[in-house]
Amino acid sequence: MTALLEVRGLTKRYLGLTAVDDVSLEVEAGAVLGLIGPNGSGKSTIVDCISGFQPANAGRWLLDGHELTGLPPHRIARAGLTRTFQAVRAYDELTLLQNLCVAAQESDGVGWLQALGRGSRLRRAEAGAEARGRDLLATVGLSEYAEAPAAILSYGQRKLLAIAASMMARPRLVVLDEPVAGVNPTMIRRIEQAIHKLNTEGVTLVIVEHNVDFIMSLCRRVIVLDAGRKIAEGPPALIRSDPGVLAAYLGQTRAAQLGPGLR
Amino acid sequence: MTAGWLRAVAVVLGVAALFAIPRVTGNEYVLALGVSFATFAVLSGGLNLVYGYTGLLSFAQVGFFGIGGYTAALLVTERGWSLWAGAAAGGVLAALVGLVVGYSSLRLSRHAFAIVSLSFALLCLIVARDWVSLTRGAMGIPGLPIPSMDLPGGLRWRLAQPADFYYLLMGFAVVAQAAIYLVVSSRLGRAMRAIKWNEPLAQSQGINPLSYKLLAIALSALLAGIVGGFFVFYLTIVDPSIFDFYYTETMLIMVIIGGPGSFWSVLAASAVLSALPDLLRFTTDLRMVLYGAVLIAAMLFFPGGVGGWLRRRRMRRWRRSGLAAR
Amino acid sequence: MDLSFCLQLLLNGIVIGVIYALVAMGLSLIFGVLEIVNFAHGEFYMLGAMLAYFLTMNARLGYWPTILVVTAVAVGLGCVLYEALLGSLQGEGFERSILLTLGLSMVLQNGAVFVFTTTPKMMQTRYSYSNVSLGDLRVPVMRLLALGLGLLAFGALYLILYRTRVGKAMRGVAQNRDAALMVGIDPRAVSRLAVAIGVGLSGLAGAALAPVYAVHPLMGFSFVFKAFAIIIIGGLGNVAGAAIAAVGLGVLESFVGGFFPLVMVDALAFTSMIAILLLRPQGLFGRGVRV
Repeated sequence: MTALLEVRGLTKRYLGLTAVDDVSLEVEAGAVLGLIGPNGSGKSTIVDCISGFQPANAGRWLLDGHELTGLPPHRIARAGLTRTFQAVRAYDELTLLQNLCVAAQESDGVGWLQALGRGSRLRRAEAGAEARGRDLLATVGLSEYAEAPAAILSYGQRKLLAIAASMMARPRLVVLDEPVAGVNPTMIRRIEQAIHKLNTEGVTLVIVEHNVDFIMSLCRRVIVLDAGRKIAEGPPALIRSDPGVLAAYLGQTRAAQLGPGLR
Repeated sequence: MTAGWLRAVAVVLGVAALFAIPRVTGNEYVLALGVSFATFAVLSGGLNLVYGYTGLLSFAQVGFFGIGGYTAALLVTERGWSLWAGAAAGGVLAALVGLVVGYSSLRLSRHAFAIVSLSFALLCLIVARDWVSLTRGAMGIPGLPIPSMDLPGGLRWRLAQPADFYYLLMGFAVVAQAAIYLVVSSRLGRAMRAIKWNEPLAQSQGINPLSYKLLAIALSALLAGIVGGFFVFYLTIVDPSIFDFYYTETMLIMVIIGGPGSFWSVLAASAVLSALPDLLRFTTDLRMVLYGAVLIAAMLFFPGGVGGWLRRRRMRRWRRSGLAAR
Repeated sequence: MDLSFCLQLLLNGIVIGVIYALVAMGLSLIFGVLEIVNFAHGEFYMLGAMLAYFLTMNARLGYWPTILVVTAVAVGLGCVLYEALLGSLQGEGFERSILLTLGLSMVLQNGAVFVFTTTPKMMQTRYSYSNVSLGDLRVPVMRLLALGLGLLAFGALYLILYRTRVGKAMRGVAQNRDAALMVGIDPRAVSRLAVAIGVGLSGLAGAALAPVYAVHPLMGFSFVFKAFAIIIIGGLGNVAGAAIAAVGLGVLESFVGGFFPLVMVDALAFTSMIAILLLRPQGLFGRGVRV
């Protein structure tokens, strides 16, 4: 089965530091892929590159066979790959529903002139977006705040809103960048449930996270990165016992125990 | 009656009142204030579109204003064009120039765009002053003739009286504000604000920042160019002083005090600040010192202007209404 | 092609270029360290010139003491500027800083016009009428002194940026603010110093050039826009690039003005800037090491 997302040989260098080193991966349609690794392993850089926010030094990535390499972020989003941000982003001055409608407006086929003309095409599109927005708000459990400005949400609720927004344009694949970082345990469960529900509706997901437990319970396949390289790939149970993975995460402690000179 | 209807009625009444003024008083001073208000309403409205809604600080408006003025003056005096055609051509030329300036510098960064827009305005001044064969140099083109416009229905309108210019500029100001309002209240305006508030988020949602920024620039330039074309005929002279920094400073103050991104507050600020200085009989220098001080104070203490203050009040009322999320 | 004429043009160009460089480097330093475009930068140049004029003509101070006093006052003004206005603005979005410094420039400029009127004033010092003969050239001593002061300032700036700890800290913050913070550099102290040095250079430039050209309240206004163009040409945030672009512009203006007297010399800076933006947007020298 051909993969929905193919990344081949992705490399990104910053000022002599290689943040991502020749990473290749594939994501099947309908999968929930976890991307984990210690700090500085290049997870977020990969996200930034494939979503177009950072230029890559080498490599290609394709969505369903369509070349996304080198495209600017808005073109990649329109092609069907959306993402959330590690530092959660929202339009504070708009209501939740308005936040979601903005996320849908570039993908409903309404042109500028039609938008200015306020005709029936626009009204239908906006009504459709609003309906979908309310659906998504229900999925993530934020329906009661639909008409409230996003500024009043708590940190975890903002993350839920961001996840809902990333789904508005009916993307093929969504990359969630640390969806539960800094979130309290109750909220983590809610986010996990929301993600699971969205996946059952047919969206492919790639989740980048630090919280290894979260990834292990949610993802059927996990990729581990360290120092910019892929060091392990497989189902959670396998990853958990992989010595290389343990070394990557615990290596520092070991070195501290055994003293310098071992590296 | 909903708030929306109330507001629409108020607008209609306000516009009717503005157009009634020349009937009520022939006082040339009042008419001059009206012309000044109308012109600045268009200029600050355009600046608000670019800076207040899209978040792009730009000093190029005065450049578009003057380009429109010179183009209209040259086309009318040398080619015998009618006023509206000359002004329209001025607006289109200004919009094209705006697109070029915007496209070349926005690729780099907003910092670069701000600096380039500033240099562009200054370059316009230098060209007007020194490229004598094109612009007649520092003396400009004085003694512009009384212009005519062909109205639908075969009438020919000779703008011989100050009241004529009042109607022309006020009428255009209404059209311009309507155009701006049409854009900012649509999803185009929503996209512009998204870009201003959080450009990476907007990009990740498929919004192309460059096209919306260029749209804002082109529209503001078009409107500024057309009003410039009308304005120079009101003055009956076009010379390098049309590019004076004074216009930039004044329209900036109007947008800052009104509140960047607030449509009605900026319009109100334009009205107040057009009338106020003359009424207070300040010399230009002291007025500019005061504007500068206001700008400093605004940046330090209330960058959102009146509109921002109103928005914050609305937000606070929301919070107090009991739907806080904790 | 008269050689001595060309040399004269070259020398004039270098003198004005070095002065441009002082102003542009200060602007670039402030931008690099604080990410603030200081619109009022030209007014400090003007104030430096004004102060030099009054010290020389009214207080009867000698040339060298005047230069020292003006530079010291400018540095002090820079500290005040940072503490009172710029410090509270850091990281708050760069539009606010431009508008704030624009407001400051409006206050200073129009205030100066109101107090001093726009009549240009000529500053006389004891060197004013002396010339020095270099071969076929007769060079006014004032220009040579201005050049010398400029080069001295270059040297001092180089020493500060590359040989002192605080200078290295400044460069560090300009290259990568977050990394500098992590290493423990105090951004406030570094920023204050950057503004003090930047404004000091501007004031010194004003004092150095005051005897050469006329002094009037609007002189900073036209100057600062060229400085903006220069830092774009050299590369935003690149102090050395600004210096090189500045001297280059000075020489270019001098030659163009010398051979094509009817061409718009003033427009050169801006047309060059536009050309650079279209062909090489990051400037001739890029942003230095900053990514």
